[in-house]
Amino acid sequence: MTELTLTRQFDAAPERVFAFVSQTEHLLKWWGPEGMTVPVHELDLSRPGPWFSEMHAPDGKVYKVSGQVTEVDPPNSLSFTWAWHDENDEPGHESHVRFELTPKDGGTQFTLVHANLADEQSRASHEDGWTSTLRRLERLCADATT
Amino acid sequence: MTLAPTFAALGDPSRLAILEQVLAEGEQSAGALSAQLPVSAPAVSRHLKVLCDAGLLVRRVDGQRRLYTANPRKLRQLSEWMQSHRAFWEPSLDRLERALKEDDND
Repeated sequence: MTELTLTRQFDAAPERVFAFVSQTEHLLKWWGPEGMTVPVHELDLSRPGPWFSEMHAPDGKVYKVSGQVTEVDPPNSLSFTWAWHDENDEPGHESHVRFELTPKDGGTQFTLVHANLADEQSRASHEDGWTSTLRRLERLCADATT
Repeated sequence: MTLAPTFAALGDPSRLAILEQVLAEGEQSAGALSAQLPVSAPAVSRHLKVLCDAGLLVRRVDGQRRLYTANPRKLRQLSEWMQSHRAFWEPSLDRLERALKEDDND
């Protein structure tokens, strides 16, 4: 199992950052890499319960991810589960995402931890790349390095 | 983001095809690559330079021939990056940062 941790400093108060990372209208402004659209969603991370997003890449590929919001503590932290859907639209391996907000230097230090990521073998079987090109490349990389 | 030039190098179908060819067939000469791809020899040569500069391919000289192989270290980096969900979160957080700034200006 692996873990990803990213830290950013934002020039905004924790309350405002929390609104941006929990409320639907704000989440839709930044959810997913540039060029992705999110035409179908239940993207409310401000309350415990299910969430869902269906993202469309510019090349027409569709990526679905869903989970449960497990903990909401404004404006300090927010936790939810995360699972990409497979080709049969079944949620796959479940990982855990946590946002932590700390006041710092007049703004907010934002930490994202994406934990319990699948090991390499099960990851390889999941379709979690971002474009068809990247997915093809991922397979090629795996072939080249094993 | 040290991988940005790598992705830029791969954002071209001909270059991706060249990399795929090298991964599938092993070490290749520029001549062999241009014979197998619908791309002119000078174009292949330019693409090979971009792929080498991006660290994706490694060149070695054998007499008159230049031979190209894939660089496993760079491919491993790419693979790890894509599988770590960084591919989702890094660009998303860039957008979040911009969204917060734009909201500020309203």
